[in-house]
Amino acid sequence: MTQTWALFVESYRHLNAKKLFWIALVISGLIVAAFAMVGIDEEGLSILVWRLPIPVSTAILSADVFYKLMFLNLGVTFWLAWGATILALVSTAGVMPEFLAGGAVDVTLAKPISRLRLFLTKYAAAMLFVGLQVGVFSTASFLVIGLRGGSWEPSVFLSVPIVVVFFSYLYSVCTLLGVVTRSTVAALLLTMLVWLGLFAVNSTEAILLMVRTQAEQSVQWLEGDIASREQALAAAEDEEPKEGILNTLKSGMNSNKKEAELATRKTQLEDARKELRTISIWQNSFVGVKTALPKTSETIGLLERWMVDMADLPAFNDGGDDGSTRVRYDGGDRELPIPQDNEAVERAVIEKSRARSVGWIVGTSLIFEAFVVGLAAWIFCRRDF
Amino acid sequence: MTAAAIDLTNVEKTYRGRIRALRGVSMRVEKGEVFGLLGPNGAGKSTLVKILTTVVRPTRISGTLLGAPVGDKAALARVGYLPENPRFPEYLTGGQVLDLFAAMAKVGRADRKRRAAETLDLVGMTSWASTRIGRYSKGMRQRIGLAQALMNDPEIVFLDEPTDGVDPVGRREIREMLIRMRDEGRTVLLNSHLLSEAETVCGRVAIMVKGQVVRLGTLDDLTRHSRRYEIEASGALPAGDGWRTLIQQLNAEVRAVGEDRDRSLIVAPTDEAAAVQPLLDALRASRATIRSVRPVRASLEELFIESVQSMGEEGAGVGGQKGRAKHGGKGGAL
Repeated sequence: MTQTWALFVESYRHLNAKKLFWIALVISGLIVAAFAMVGIDEEGLSILVWRLPIPVSTAILSADVFYKLMFLNLGVTFWLAWGATILALVSTAGVMPEFLAGGAVDVTLAKPISRLRLFLTKYAAAMLFVGLQVGVFSTASFLVIGLRGGSWEPSVFLSVPIVVVFFSYLYSVCTLLGVVTRSTVAALLLTMLVWLGLFAVNSTEAILLMVRTQAEQSVQWLEGDIASREQALAAAEDEEPKEGILNTLKSGMNSNKKEAELATRKTQLEDARKELRTISIWQNSFVGVKTALPKTSETIGLLERWMVDMADLPAFNDGGDDGSTRVRYDGGDRELPIPQDNEAVERAVIEKSRARSVGWIVGTSLIFEAFVVGLAAWIFCRRDF
Repeated sequence: MTAAAIDLTNVEKTYRGRIRALRGVSMRVEKGEVFGLLGPNGAGKSTLVKILTTVVRPTRISGTLLGAPVGDKAALARVGYLPENPRFPEYLTGGQVLDLFAAMAKVGRADRKRRAAETLDLVGMTSWASTRIGRYSKGMRQRIGLAQALMNDPEIVFLDEPTDGVDPVGRREIREMLIRMRDEGRTVLLNSHLLSEAETVCGRVAIMVKGQVVRLGTLDDLTRHSRRYEIEASGALPAGDGWRTLIQQLNAEVRAVGEDRDRSLIVAPTDEAAAVQPLLDALRASRATIRSVRPVRASLEELFIESVQSMGEEGAGVGGQKGRAKHGGKGGAL
């Protein structure tokens, strides 16, 4: 325990000596101060005493949800998961290369501590940067949400483990690269590259999920539409034909038109099913790839899942007056519209995302991390210094 | 027979499957002795020390350190180590460095404070304890390194080039510390390029060349074959069969020395003063002027270079050793 504590104290002193640590802490303070300055009431938004021309009020969002969303979207997603993480990586990328430098590692390795324990303690101690940053940020946000939003949300502190776990995915890669290259710059740049790659995979999968959901809804709508048309046609056939040539002609034309439309719908359904199958294959492939990789965005997204209920989310309003967008079917001469309810699609995507288990999101990501850290530890333990 | 501080048999180390750094090194270092490990660059001295301190993994090893198998963690807690060119975190103060590495050696908090005060005083760094390492000179870093090696009150101390970068006054202080450590009963394994250091403080030395120990023993043992008396005289030397017989009996050699070659140096390969008395009597009888009579033995530097050359070691490494040895060497006469 003496050794572990000594290594953690040394890591804290390392951070304390770094200007970036304090810069990040000041930025965190400024962001929380900015939250506190924003007010929301039934009339709208304000900053200190000035009103903002933004149509958001407590009629749309309750004050506590507003502050929670601000904390999640601005504080966590943009600041902690991007800005502070970049600063943390810059600050900690040198931990392993500096530790492994000739003349530095020798003294420590000559002490009565196993290499594996030494390595894992150094690795864990590097999380202090993010842990302390998020701890301070969460505490300040907890006070702002409580004082300004009137809701004391202990779930805010879930951001500490979540952001630390999120950072640890990236730091594991940084550590492996640091052990292999023994270069801070190489470790940092390659980690950023890996992060970009993960972001690309996650974003592509999210887009594919959206497209798949749209396609699913199209198929579902077409199936319903075809069923109702078939019912209507069947009903029309059962009806007694009206007398007179004109009526017979009209009825015949109507019937032909409906049958043509039904045929078009059936073709559309076939096309939509084919499209859904293709998209599903791609989306499933990306999910498969993601399973083996750290799920950075979804890990951060867990916080919103746990802090904000679906029912509390503001209504989606991207479409027309009824909240839907009519998309014309691009089917050449078969121009029958397939309605697309964007709000329903977005809700369905969020529901699907929220339905993904924590075990899959965090568990598989941690398996990746364990593999990478294990590889780095194996190299460290076997290397001659 | 008491357990040795270090008892190694057939230690081998091959880097990347092709560079043979150690080729079957065997040695025994007794408890309480200051043992010098000498050799040119690349001889394997640092590798051997690093194997003993678990910094490098041996290819093959058989032996013990402080009575336990090499690598035993409990034994390592009783070891102090100062590597060559130590680098400590620049953001820590000297006092914090001592505290950190003492904690790593499982020294309790109260003992750490007491030992820090003692070792800082020992290395003359008390007034710099609160200054960050980043502001230290190389010599000061070396002193702090030495202090951290002593923080756990070790039974054995490995010192790899402890006087590197230290000024002459500091070197003398470190030599005195080594002698003090020996007097306190600690075992010291000194790995140094400065042969004068080893000559002054080491009871025994091992000379390593190309990963092998080529000489091992006390300085007396190693230089016994080179002991001689040198008699310098001027004026006419004795003539006749009696003198020639004396010279032959002692297997001595007569050389002309001096700028004008007007003096003679008689070198008699013996370490017994009585054996050279007949020579002195004969010189006095012939009215030659006896300028000096000196017992001489080979210096460690001579021994070192002889060992290196006997192994066919030539090139930059050996040249470097010669250059350093000249600066630190003490000369042959005792």
